[in-house]
Amino acid sequence: MVLYAFIKGIFKEALAKKILLTIFGFFTLIIVLIIFAITNSTVDGLQMMLESKSEGGLKEAVMMLQSGIVSGIPMFMLIASMLIITASFIPDMLKKGHIDLLLSKPISRTKIIIGQFLAGIILVFLSFLFLLGIIWLIVSLKTGYWNINFLYSVLWFTLIFAVLYSAVILIGILSRSSILTIIINLLLFFPITWLLYLANRYFESDQKGIVFGPVAETLLKFFYQILPKAWNMQDMCDAIVTHNPVAGYQPLISSLLFMAVMLSVSIWYFNKKDY
Amino acid sequence: MNVIEINGITKNYPAKKFSGDKIKALDNVSFNVGSGEIFGLLGPNGAGKTTLVKILLGITFSSAGKASIFDKPVADVNTKRKVGYLPENHQYPNYLTGEQVIDYFGRLSGLSKADLDKTTYKYLKIVGMDEWGTTKIKKYSKGMMQRLGLAQAMISNPDLIFLDEPTDGVDPIGRKEIRDVLLELKNQGKTIFLNSHLLSEIELICDRVAILNKGALIKEGSVEDITTTGNKYIFTTSDLTDEMMNKLLVEYKSTVHGRNEFSCSVNGIEDVNRIIDCLRASGILIHGVNREKNSLESMFINLIEQKN
Ligand SMILES: Nc1ncnc2c1ncn2[C@@H]1O[C@H](COP(=O)(O)OP(=O)(O)OP(=O)(O)O)[C@@H](O)[C@H]1O
Ligand SMILES: [Mg+2]
Repeated sequence: MVLYAFIKGIFKEALAKKILLTIFGFFTLIIVLIIFAITNSTVDGLQMMLESKSEGGLKEAVMMLQSGIVSGIPMFMLIASMLIITASFIPDMLKKGHIDLLLSKPISRTKIIIGQFLAGIILVFLSFLFLLGIIWLIVSLKTGYWNINFLYSVLWFTLIFAVLYSAVILIGILSRSSILTIIINLLLFFPITWLLYLANRYFESDQKGIVFGPVAETLLKFFYQILPKAWNMQDMCDAIVTHNPVAGYQPLISSLLFMAVMLSVSIWYFNKKDY
Repeated sequence: MNVIEINGITKNYPAKKFSGDKIKALDNVSFNVGSGEIFGLLGPNGAGKTTLVKILLGITFSSAGKASIFDKPVADVNTKRKVGYLPENHQYPNYLTGEQVIDYFGRLSGLSKADLDKTTYKYLKIVGMDEWGTTKIKKYSKGMMQRLGLAQAMISNPDLIFLDEPTDGVDPIGRKEIRDVLLELKNQGKTIFLNSHLLSEIELICDRVAILNKGALIKEGSVEDITTTGNKYIFTTSDLTDEMMNKLLVEYKSTVHGRNEFSCSVNGIEDVNRIIDCLRASGILIHGVNREKNSLESMFINLIEQKN
């Protein structure tokens, strides 16, 4: 009950600070651009495949288009923008004169962190549902192929966000600074985890062009293991959208583990801190 | 019954990061606050008043000692339903209106929308802010913010209210109004814990006070006990004769302040009556007999100076 009021308060704040409006405007712009792009060039290409009368060809083309929409760069831009937007939630809450009052209310510190976490996830889920849902509708209407699997990308993107957002919460509590939180988390997202992802792919392949020393290799593997695997999760999302088998759920599990650790540390630290 | 029990609370803050040095913000403080009291916590800047209140509310944690509210340890989240708080330098998101501030914090106190619909304006009216409910608080003056803060502290109809400098920035009429609100709350049986430097105000409304200095409790008691000093009485009379003045000086070791007033330290109420008899026997009219009182302020200043 009180938790619900708290989450609602965060949404009201996002509304009042025009955060929701900004997201809505930004995403609408993307949608308009996509409508524009599809009407001009893509559909011609798809039309040609249609004329080849091969239904498989059309599906293939639509999936390629959709896989492009949820590929690495758009994924990074969308999630990074949501991380930037939500990075101020915790530092704003911790401002002197506000946090005192909040902590005097009958809501436990653990619930406050959970509330912040849920609020961020709900906000991002709804935003992605709006953006990717409308894109899906447009693509499906234009091409006649309703690829339900594309909608899973809403869940996957929200999940990738949730994993990184847990680090935003911890760093926000530790630093109380939105700017620092944004910088550290964006660096973590790109290039740190991206380079580790590439390094891991390299180790798993048989090419041995570049030689890493054993220490470097162990270190890289270690950090790859403990840090979130946003880029692997994007691969998994891609596999699902294009109806391909997912290589393995290991990266998802270890990312969720990272999230659990970040949240637990946040809750532990927040519970013992003086304000 | 005690609403608040404080037992040996000590709080050390780290002086500088990583230096290991400590600031002792509170040093083994113990006292109780009874139900239905207006309790005043006094002390110079940095004495530890705010720190103590924050510990009682679970905002800050004590380094040693125990404290309870309504017989529950201060860490208990649910007791906070019965507690209201006006922090010092409180800040609300400034895009909210007064009404929305009350609504938001009321909901966090566990009130339903239906409760709030009924009570929001009732409390805004009590603090004289009902006409400002729909104005954004960034347009409020300091005193208006303080009044809003008070309404916020009262919204859940708590049995115990902590007020940290409630009259800070409020004009004299507003202060009187706030005092009246507090007395009204007391009449309803609420307990009020007040932090303030405004001693004259504390004197007007508090039943009991505690004085903190540099983290240590240096005095605690009823306002009456703290302000009355010894057994000195002041007599005001009709014109004293020279003979009577002499007698008072020699026999009663009085200090004569003029023909119509003298003061005298006595051993008990019998002495006072003996002087009265003596005066009346000589046909002198008595206008008044008062026990000398120090103002809380002079008392406070003396105490703090002694300690430093
Ligand atoms: N978060 C903190 N970190 C370190 N020291 C602190 C902290 N909060 C308070 N202090 C120190 O603790 C002491 C008591 O501070 P506190 O705010 O309780 O005083 P106060 O009696 O409320 O003063 P005022 O009348 O000015 O409001 C001060 O020396 C202050 O510097
Ligand atoms: Mg203070």
